[in-house]
Amino acid sequence: MNDHVPQAEAFPAGSAAISIRNVSKWFRRADNANPVHALKNVSLDIAPNSFVSLVGPSGCGKTTLLRLLNGLIAADEGEILVDGKPPVRGPHMGLVFQSIRLMPWRTIRANVYFPLELMGVAQNECVERANFYLSMMGISKFGDAYPHELSGGMQQRAALARALISQPAFLLMDEPFAALDAQTREFMQIEVMKIRENLKGVVVFVTHSVDEAILLSDQIVMMSPRPGQIAEILPVNLPQPRWDHDVRARKEFVELRAHLWDGIKAMVVNDPESEFYQRDRLGPRMSTPSGG
Amino acid sequence: MTMVVGARGLADQKARQGAARRPYRPNLALLRALVGVVFVAIWTFVAYFYGSNFIPSPAETFRSAMRMMSDATIPTALASTVYVFVVGYLLAAAFAIPLGLFMGGFRIFGAAIEPYVDALSAMPRVSFIPLIIIFLGLGYEAKICVVFLGAIMPILLNTYTGVLNSDADLIEMAHASGASEMQIFQKVMLPGALPYIIAGMRVGAGLALINTVVAELYTAVQGLGGLLSVYGNTFRMGPYFVVVILLAIIGLITMRSLKALERRLTRGYARTRI
Repeated sequence: MNDHVPQAEAFPAGSAAISIRNVSKWFRRADNANPVHALKNVSLDIAPNSFVSLVGPSGCGKTTLLRLLNGLIAADEGEILVDGKPPVRGPHMGLVFQSIRLMPWRTIRANVYFPLELMGVAQNECVERANFYLSMMGISKFGDAYPHELSGGMQQRAALARALISQPAFLLMDEPFAALDAQTREFMQIEVMKIRENLKGVVVFVTHSVDEAILLSDQIVMMSPRPGQIAEILPVNLPQPRWDHDVRARKEFVELRAHLWDGIKAMVVNDPESEFYQRDRLGPRMSTPSGG
Repeated sequence: MTMVVGARGLADQKARQGAARRPYRPNLALLRALVGVVFVAIWTFVAYFYGSNFIPSPAETFRSAMRMMSDATIPTALASTVYVFVVGYLLAAAFAIPLGLFMGGFRIFGAAIEPYVDALSAMPRVSFIPLIIIFLGLGYEAKICVVFLGAIMPILLNTYTGVLNSDADLIEMAHASGASEMQIFQKVMLPGALPYIIAGMRVGAGLALINTVVAELYTAVQGLGGLLSVYGNTFRMGPYFVVVILLAIIGLITMRSLKALERRLTRGYARTRI
């Protein structure tokens, strides 16, 4: 698929919801040695109302890119425009983290309306809107519970409700389901797909899971590590909606999965800094016990 | 079978099942009363063994207490001691908590004064008493000052530590949601520091009580500490024991109320409670 046209050129300038142009980012190390080159010359356009996944091996800058989009950190080179403006952190950007980050001293409901409270929304409206999103995520009856009383999946649903309550135009998700068990994770993916049916907006989803990326996305951005850059941008040509049936048996899914996995595997086994460097071949053969 | 709604309901049910499976659940109140009875029995035996010139029996102590109640010795001394203790302790908390928050909120300020706070916290506060007497005399002001100095350090250091240990992930989450620095301090760092602050207040309460007695011994002899010195020096062991028991009761009430306050304020903290 080397002849694939990068999406960055497929959209005329100005029509993209998020436009990333030649962005580079370095991180200073604690020992003040050579800074780590986290992102190198990344250009990407994200269309309005699209679901884009960032996949790639550890160290490819997926999370860094997400934090740049949120405005938590600033790019060293290049330009990022979100709705035509430089990124500003705030409630228009819903953010969901792998570590769920609910405040243990607040009830689930109070955690969910936290972004509204920051905006100065009146208490009764906070509660009303929190109740709506709690019921949307199917956790209404846990509104008065505290986070530690809920399972990981329930907690992450509360975190999703918190990200959605300010009705953000952008939802940024940083490996949100990585800490959940495999089954909970699949049900959470269905939750995300259902949210997509109801809400308009851009979702940028960082994941290590190729399956998850294909299942959820309109478009997959495969990134390569050291320095982090975009290796390939692939559209997902599977029909929507995908939550009411299993699309994983379809030919397109299987082919795309094989392609992405081959790409990621090649990056990992050829990366001298990876723990799986050159682990793609069979090790020394165990000798059979004598007399056998 | 009824449906159990909510995580708390489930947890309760589990707890009940656990209790049912256990063959015997000790009654805590009964056990505590039993410990009290054993203590009084040992006390009676030791009093009998040594004689009432050294150790008064529980009955004798009780008679002394009745006498001291009727001639207003206890009410007067108790009022004076409780006044010094409560005012000194509350002043310490009112000063230490904001200062600790400020030290944690403005790290550079906190780091600048930290060594001096450490030096002061390890120093025996008794050594300040002559200085305090010079400036404040021998009355209530001096006593309150001793209690204040005695209780302030654990509250200050715990508040500071609590703010320094605030959860970086939660701060980033609030930051990403558009929180201002003030909002982050108020809504993330302050509640996060609460268990530390209350732990500091518990330690501070113990030290405040100790310093109340120290102040009453070293400045104008007054209150329960004063009685302790008077009865101790004249070997009137019955009244002396009454005073010791009263001090223990003040300590008990203070610690119990602080524990109740902690439970109320940190209901959701199950995982972070220290």
